[in-house]
Amino acid sequence: MTTQAWRRVALAAGALLLLGGCGGSSGPSNDHVLRIAMGSPGEAQIRVWDSVAKQFEAAHPETKVELNYLNDDLYETIGLQNLLNGRKAPDIYFEWTGSRLAQRVKDGFGADLTKQFESGPLAGLFDDAVLAQYTLDGKVVMVPYTADVTNVLWFNTKILADAGVKPPATWSDLLAACDALNAKGITPIASGNKDLWPAGNWLAHLSSRVVGEDVYAKTLRGGASFATPKWEKAFGYIKQLADRKCVNQSANAIDDNAGAQLFFQGKAAMHPIGSWLVSWAIDEAPDLAFDYVNLPAMPGGAGNQGSVIGVATGYVINAKSAKIGDASEFMALLNSKANVRALIKADATPLSKPASAGIENDSRSARLSTLLNTAPAIVLPPDTGYNLKTADALYQAIAAVLGGQATPLAALKAIDTKLGR
Amino acid sequence: MKSTRALTPYLFLGPAALVFGFAVLVPMAMTVGYSLTEWTGVGPMRFVGLDNYAKAARDAVFRASFSHVLVYIAATLVLEVGVGLGLAGLISARRGTAWFRVAVFTPVMLPMIVVAVLWSFVYNPDFGLVNAGLAGVGLDGLQRVWLGDTSTALLAISVVSGWVFAGFYMMIFHAALRQLPAEIVEAARIDGAGEWALFRRVKVPMIRNAVAVAVLLCVTGGFQGFDLFFVLTNGGPYGATEIPTTYLVKVVFRDGDVGYGSAMAVILTAVVLGVGLVYARVQRGRSAASRGRWT
Repeated sequence: MTTQAWRRVALAAGALLLLGGCGGSSGPSNDHVLRIAMGSPGEAQIRVWDSVAKQFEAAHPETKVELNYLNDDLYETIGLQNLLNGRKAPDIYFEWTGSRLAQRVKDGFGADLTKQFESGPLAGLFDDAVLAQYTLDGKVVMVPYTADVTNVLWFNTKILADAGVKPPATWSDLLAACDALNAKGITPIASGNKDLWPAGNWLAHLSSRVVGEDVYAKTLRGGASFATPKWEKAFGYIKQLADRKCVNQSANAIDDNAGAQLFFQGKAAMHPIGSWLVSWAIDEAPDLAFDYVNLPAMPGGAGNQGSVIGVATGYVINAKSAKIGDASEFMALLNSKANVRALIKADATPLSKPASAGIENDSRSARLSTLLNTAPAIVLPPDTGYNLKTADALYQAIAAVLGGQATPLAALKAIDTKLGR
Repeated sequence: MKSTRALTPYLFLGPAALVFGFAVLVPMAMTVGYSLTEWTGVGPMRFVGLDNYAKAARDAVFRASFSHVLVYIAATLVLEVGVGLGLAGLISARRGTAWFRVAVFTPVMLPMIVVAVLWSFVYNPDFGLVNAGLAGVGLDGLQRVWLGDTSTALLAISVVSGWVFAGFYMMIFHAALRQLPAEIVEAARIDGAGEWALFRRVKVPMIRNAVAVAVLLCVTGGFQGFDLFFVLTNGGPYGATEIPTTYLVKVVFRDGDVGYGSAMAVILTAVVLGVGLVYARVQRGRSAASRGRWT
């Protein structure tokens, strides 16, 4: 072979490598796979999703449905972001309403679904009042799924009854319950706060009750600093929880699953977490007798003492997807009467019209749904309703006070320092 | 034909160079470029010069993350390289250690995420093996929230790292020890050296190159540590196990600050490269000095 010929071969090989290296681009792939991503909704709901996927594949033999269930915390922090920027980005993905949803739409990952709801496959499945929560700048950008109460105080009815403790309605009730349960050698409250949001959600709600919903929202949006007497008073109550040994010593070392296990296995009397615990318990602790109370009223709090912390959730259809039609049809199938019935059996509380058409629900889930729908004030969780960096700084401060590592004022000053306020 | 021969080495090198370029050099150059911008990962970038580097220098969490990783590296040098060397010394002095070697090496073959999840159960303060074992032998007073206590969390992660990699270094040292000339070992024995003296004064000095490589691997690998930390503590408790990689991931993916995260990645790369180069120079100096003694 001549030198020139070698050069041609080398150039061709180089060009091939270049094309191989640069030919791909991020975004959903244009194949026959409908990709759906979410955090883990619990085994009971996973069975429903898998069933809907099979129904869809049977009706669309050319399409395969790929469901990707990620660890919740991973999904919320780096998982979804990575998936959306990957080559096989999801066509449909779970998201919370609030600042996260707005950011997704701003970044070009949320399709305008208005037409799908007006005259497409999703038409007639949701009330306008529900769709209003999923509308940004006049465009419906998400398919509603559930409205989650992200924190109530679950309690083991038998343990409380055996200890002669009533479900706490006020702050002093809660502290008295801690003392009574500690005296009997039972951990009063189990929390798995390694990832910071479980106790973060709970105690952010407590803080909102003390500082008032307006101050809470203003501070989390960046309009005020944290190191104020109001917030210090709120964090003082968190310190009381630590001082009275209300929460398991391991709280900041174990994750939410391990925290729930302490409750499921009867090692702790109470567990502050969201409405999804009912769904978890179906598989994890089917025989456990448990119920809930909303966060106890805080003495002298500036907020509404009947407030509920919650967030509406749903599924966004990726604006970059080449399968928006298929994705809409899948979401319509998920919200069909039979599948909504299955979801309710799996202890979800879907927001679609079939859900309110006389289908029986687990009493706790139904009551939680009513609690949210009739709440005098709704508090948005910091990590889904506001900027994630702000939420993380608040959560770290809460964990530090709960773990006895910082005083309320020092923890609040640390938030302001981190956020440059 | 002569000119073809001159081109041949480049043709062989070409594919590897292209792959290296696209897999390493181009991403590195792009990271340096991003580090000079303010960018969320999507949308427009804004050139900010060296602002991100100045921010990193002021960032107390980032500075502390280097302290944590240095402590981790120091611990793993003992728990991985030291223990690996000790185990290699033991198995090279005995016969019939094949099963032992397989057992100690097995953790290396497990995915790190699996190891981390496994050890999160072992360290679980409420149900875990460590606290249950301590209670079982009447040492309840030593029970700890191992991964939730700022004084034990980093050490607890280092122990897991040691459990995984001690077997890896043991195999490296075992292979090196098997290459030692038998007559030197025999001569030392005839001179009255016991097994400990033989190991410390004869065998280890003779495999010093393998030890040097192991130390370099351990140090540079320590800076790259991520998965164990991410799963076991995610930087907690209260930032006590935050290392540059876990912090970098939070900055990029949680805060959406790709520019600042890229600056941190560049600094981390520079530190690892610097440490590697200094170590290589020191080793070269030692080798030259040692050659000088024998000439």
